[in-house]
Formats: sequence, structure tokens, C-alpha cells
Amino acid sequence: MIRVGIPRALLYYEYYPMWHTFFHELGAEVVVSPQTTEAILSSGSSRVVAETCLPVKAFLGHVIYLAGKCDYVFIPALRSIKTKVYNCSKFLGLPDMTRAVIPESPPILEIDIDVNKGKRRLYQTIYKLGRHFTWDPLKVKRASLAAWQAHLDYRELMSSCGLTPLQAIEKIYGTAETKPKSNSQSGNSTSPRASVAVIGHPYLLYDEHLSHRILHRLEKAHSKVFVPEMLTTQELDSAVARLVGRAYWTYEEEVVGAGEHYLTGQADGVIGIMAFGCGPDSLMMDMVHRKAASLRTKPLMVLNLEEHTADTGVITRLEAFLDMIHRRKRRQVPSCV
Amino acid sequence: MRVGMPHMGNIYIAFKALFERLDVDFVVPPVNNQHALSLGVRHSPEGLCIPFKLTLANLIEAAEMGADTLIMPAGYGVCRLGYYYKNQEQILRDLGYKFEMVPIGVSEQKLSGILKVIKRLSNNASWYRILSAFRFGIAKLNALDRMERAVHKVRPVERIKGTANRIFAKAVKAIDEADDYGSLNRVQKDYIEQLEQVPRSARRPLIVGITGEFYVLLEPFSNLDIENELGRLGVEVRRTTFVSEWTKFSLFLNALGVNEKERIHKAARPYLKRDIGGDGWESVGDKVLHAKKYDGLIHVAPFTCMPEIIAQNIMPSTKENIPVLTILCDEQLAKPGMLTRVEAFVDLLERKRRQPPNNH
Repeated sequence: MIRVGIPRALLYYEYYPMWHTFFHELGAEVVVSPQTTEAILSSGSSRVVAETCLPVKAFLGHVIYLAGKCDYVFIPALRSIKTKVYNCSKFLGLPDMTRAVIPESPPILEIDIDVNKGKRRLYQTIYKLGRHFTWDPLKVKRASLAAWQAHLDYRELMSSCGLTPLQAIEKIYGTAETKPKSNSQSGNSTSPRASVAVIGHPYLLYDEHLSHRILHRLEKAHSKVFVPEMLTTQELDSAVARLVGRAYWTYEEEVVGAGEHYLTGQADGVIGIMAFGCGPDSLMMDMVHRKAASLRTKPLMVLNLEEHTADTGVITRLEAFLDMIHRRKRRQVPSCV
Repeated sequence: MRVGMPHMGNIYIAFKALFERLDVDFVVPPVNNQHALSLGVRHSPEGLCIPFKLTLANLIEAAEMGADTLIMPAGYGVCRLGYYYKNQEQILRDLGYKFEMVPIGVSEQKLSGILKVIKRLSNNASWYRILSAFRFGIAKLNALDRMERAVHKVRPVERIKGTANRIFAKAVKAIDEADDYGSLNRVQKDYIEQLEQVPRSARRPLIVGITGEFYVLLEPFSNLDIENELGRLGVEVRRTTFVSEWTKFSLFLNALGVNEKERIHKAARPYLKRDIGGDGWESVGDKVLHAKKYDGLIHVAPFTCMPEIIAQNIMPSTKENIPVLTILCDEQLAKPGMLTRVEAFVDLLERKRRQPPNNH
């Protein structure tokens, strides 16, 4: 059986059920790298120039981990998934960059996704990917339809049940490695003291090593946590349209859309998470920042992560942020009651 | 209406000619300098690249000079550039300026779209006037680039350092002042001749290619005038991008199916299979293509530039071997630091040339 490696980084959080279904239907075994550790991150960052962004360094570390443990490693080059909305260069150059900096990597299964080139071209590229496993076009077609359905189910599960990608993946595949920690919605005995929205790309938010378990820490401080995935596509799209007009980046919704939505919506405060040197985020976070400054209603804190960011620094800032929110809430409630 | 736009090298001369012919009030903000850089840095988000910061400063200064219509390059692609005008518009509005932002995107609007924008800005001038003014602007661009190419050749070998630069400065001024084709041609002929007569030394200069991101390549202030410094060290610079060529292809010939970059892309393909936005693909291709021809290659890029980081990571893995020096430009780059690195690089190339080739 052919073993296909999928690095647990970058697009994994967005598309894992889709990829898993696709390769599984084609009769391959899927090998996923474990959660990011310090060793994985530093092995990745030792290969590239220093200013490469944090999630890409982690991604390369995962590929290094997978070397020797699988026959292929799957690295898509996702150019565009919406008409004239493009992705960051780092996603496009990912297969080539991996080949250049990790010579020992298993052969790379690459696929160019660009919807601007038309449906026919898209189907051809998917078939080309499937050809590594089977000659039967119908089998590839069945697998891709099943994969698409799995993706839709995954999105639906997250927005309807208010789950984070990790919880949803756990629910679908029953992976034992994530701890059965209490969900903000179900398990909390005390009512949440504050609600905090965390915006940013899933590959930062849900990578517990990169984000310093920020979601977990917020929940432990009895805050209700909102994440971008809890919103429906329509909500996100309309929020993007309100703030910047037409979307320019593929993952604009996660930052600009969710930011706008939560700043004007139910959360008490918004935390933006970005990686140092992230090109799209430097612009998008600024848009959210300016919106927050003009609204003057809700606090926004932006955490810029890189390898040198230490737990303590993150904790201190989180505590200060939560203290501020709590104080604001106390002031809003009439104190004589 | 008063129109302003950001600087990139001497490109303002062409736009000035274009708009003057159409009787549009066009303001030229002060050329990029330390003041502009600090102004841009002060008002920009920290993670952005130097092109954003400098163009923002130019727009602020243009608005300060009374411009109410600001032109900013945009267009859809993978690089951040297409998004700049949205942020810059917001920043300028937050600073309290009243203006209209006009994004111009070559990849998006094509030639016809750009001409339509010019028609609107020129208060509906006749198409004949617009086309003739446009043609004149392009003639000026061509003249400027012709001068620059000649200067690249003379700088490393001139007997008295600085002669070529002095002539070039005069030529730029004369090209700016020329107001018809006759005087433009005369000026070109004049100054090319002057450059040819500069006394030269007989030594064969090192040849160094210079490639990288479009803006820092073409805006001398942002790369701390690296071409001039190389020339002073006796190195002949071969720059891969010229505005006039770029305009010629992206506005006219690409629409006809000519792809001038096909050769570079083909060279890059074994290492980088696809366009990654900006000029990353070309940077890798330039290394592969010119490995045999040049003594060395200087790769300039803005700090945090996404496509160039990919290129920088891929470049060392190519089979075609040539020394590459990557210089990242941002407001922290200082001249002495840059000079030290460039001098060391040139020393290395000199030594390499003196040694017989297969000697290991």
C-alpha cells in the first residue's frame, strides 16, 4: 500500500478531511506528522533563510519528520480557489521550496490549484494527481467527489456545532492524541467571565506549539472563545465586503472578515494572531486595527509570533488583556446593584 | 483637479510629459530622501516592505502639495502590491486628507483600461491627444533608459570617477525639459556622444548582473544607489529590468501573445515550476540563465518580500553556479553595511577571476 504523508501544518487545518478522503478512496494509506514540537520547528527553520515566516518553517520541519516514513509527501500549490483572489507566494512556491531545501524529502505529490484557468484544467490536474495511484479516471472522479463531500461536511460541522478544526477533525476521525478537554460550550461549569474572539489563520491558531496554546489558556481563564471557523461563509464574506470591498487574498475572511464581524458583534474583545513577516497579514491586520481604532468600542490586541516568542510573554499579555476586559465589563454594569 | 503619484526612479518624467501635454495639473512630490523614508515609516504598519513605505510618503507629500487625485499602481496578482492602495487610502484618510484614489493595474486593466483612466483624469480630452501624449511619455521613458544603459557601461571604466554621473544628471534634466520629439532626439544624441567621449581606462571590468524585486531594483534611493556603488568599484552592472522594456511588453506585446520572459521562466523551471508572484520566478531564472555569462549576481529585495524569500531559498540549490549576494532593503539598511558587503563580494569575484577556473 502506498503511504502518503501529510504534514500537519499550513493547509492541513483547512483541508485535512478532504485530502484524507481522497487518498483513502484511492487506496492509499495516509500518514500525518505529529503535532508541532520544538524539535520539528527548529529542524525546519535550520534549513531556510531567517526571514521565512514561522508557519512555513514549521511546515518544513514536518516534511523533514515525514522523510523515510512515507512514499510520497503531499504538498499542493494552491494558487487560487476563487476567481481573481490569489494566495500568498509562500503557498505557491511550497513544493519547489521544499525540494530545494530538503533534498531528502520523499517524492512530492504536487497539484496546482487555480480556478482561474477553468474547470477543465482543474479536473485534469486532479486526475493527474490520481494517476499516481490508479489509471481509472472513474475511480479518481469518485474519490474527488467523496473528498469534496467530506470537505463540505467538515465546514458544516464546524459552523453548525461551533467547533474548532481540531475538535472537528477529532470528532470525524476519533484521533486519541488531542486531550478530551472541556469545550467552551459544553463542559464549563461556571458561566464565562468574558468572550474573546481570536482571529488569524488556522495554521497559527490551532498549532498549539506556534500559538502557545492561546485558545486553551483563554478557556482556562473562563473566557468564551470565538474563532473564525464558527462563522458561516456568508457572514464572513459580507464582513469582508463591508471593510475592504472585494477580497484580494484567499484567506482574507479569517482575518478581515472575522475581525470586522467580531469587532461589531458579540465578543468583548478581539485578539489577532499573526506571524512575523507574514505579507498578507501585515496589511490585513492593519485594516482590522484601523477599524477597531475608528469604532473605539472594543479592545483589539495583535500578537506577532515568531520563534523567539516565549510562553511567558504571551501569558503576560493575555492576562493584561483579560484584566482590561474584566474591568471594562465591571464598569458597564451598574455598581450599586 | 491636481494629480499626484508616487516615485519610482525617473518614471515621473514620463508621466509629467504625458499629463502636461493633456493640460492636467500634475504635481511631483520631492524625490525620495531620508525625510520621505521617515515619513513613510512613521505612518506604515511595521511589517510592510519599503516600497509601501516610500510610496505612502510620496502620496502624503503629494497630498500636502494639494493633489486631490492620487494614482497608485495596483492590479491583481500574488504580490502584496495590489492591496497597497486600500491601506494607503485608509491611512491618508485617517490623516485627514481629502482626495480620490485611482488604482492603476496593468495586469487588470490592460492598456485600454489605463487609457480610459487617463481620459477621465484629463477631463475627456480627445483620443488623438491622449494617444499622442502617451506616445510622447513612452518616448521619454525610452530615452531615459537608453541613457542609463550607456551610463552602466561607462561608470566602471571612466578615468575620472563621477564623470558619467554628472553627464547623466544633466541628461535627465534635459530629457525632462525637452518638449517635442525633435529636441528629445537631439538631447539623446548629444549626451550619448558625450558619454562615449569620456576618457576610459583599458581594464576589463567585472560583470555583475543585478536582479530582484521590481521597485527596489528601479528606485535607487531604496537600494542605496547600489548600481552607482558597484560602478565606482569598477564593476559593470547588467540590470535585468528596465521600465521602458517592461512597459513595451506588458502594455503592448504581451497582449499579442509575445512573452519576453519565456526564456527566463524556462531556465527557472527545473527549480521553480510556477509563477509565485512578484518577480521571484524571474530572480531564480536570472541566476540559472546568467550563470555562465556574468561574474556574479546581486539579488536585491525588500525585507519581508514574499516572492523573493522563496527565490532566496531556492537559489542556492541550482546546479548552475554563480556567486550571489542577496541584499535586503529596508529602512534599517545603512550605507556602510551595504558597502562592506558589496566590497567583499567584489573582492571575491576579482580573486575568482584571477584564479584559473578548474582548480580544486
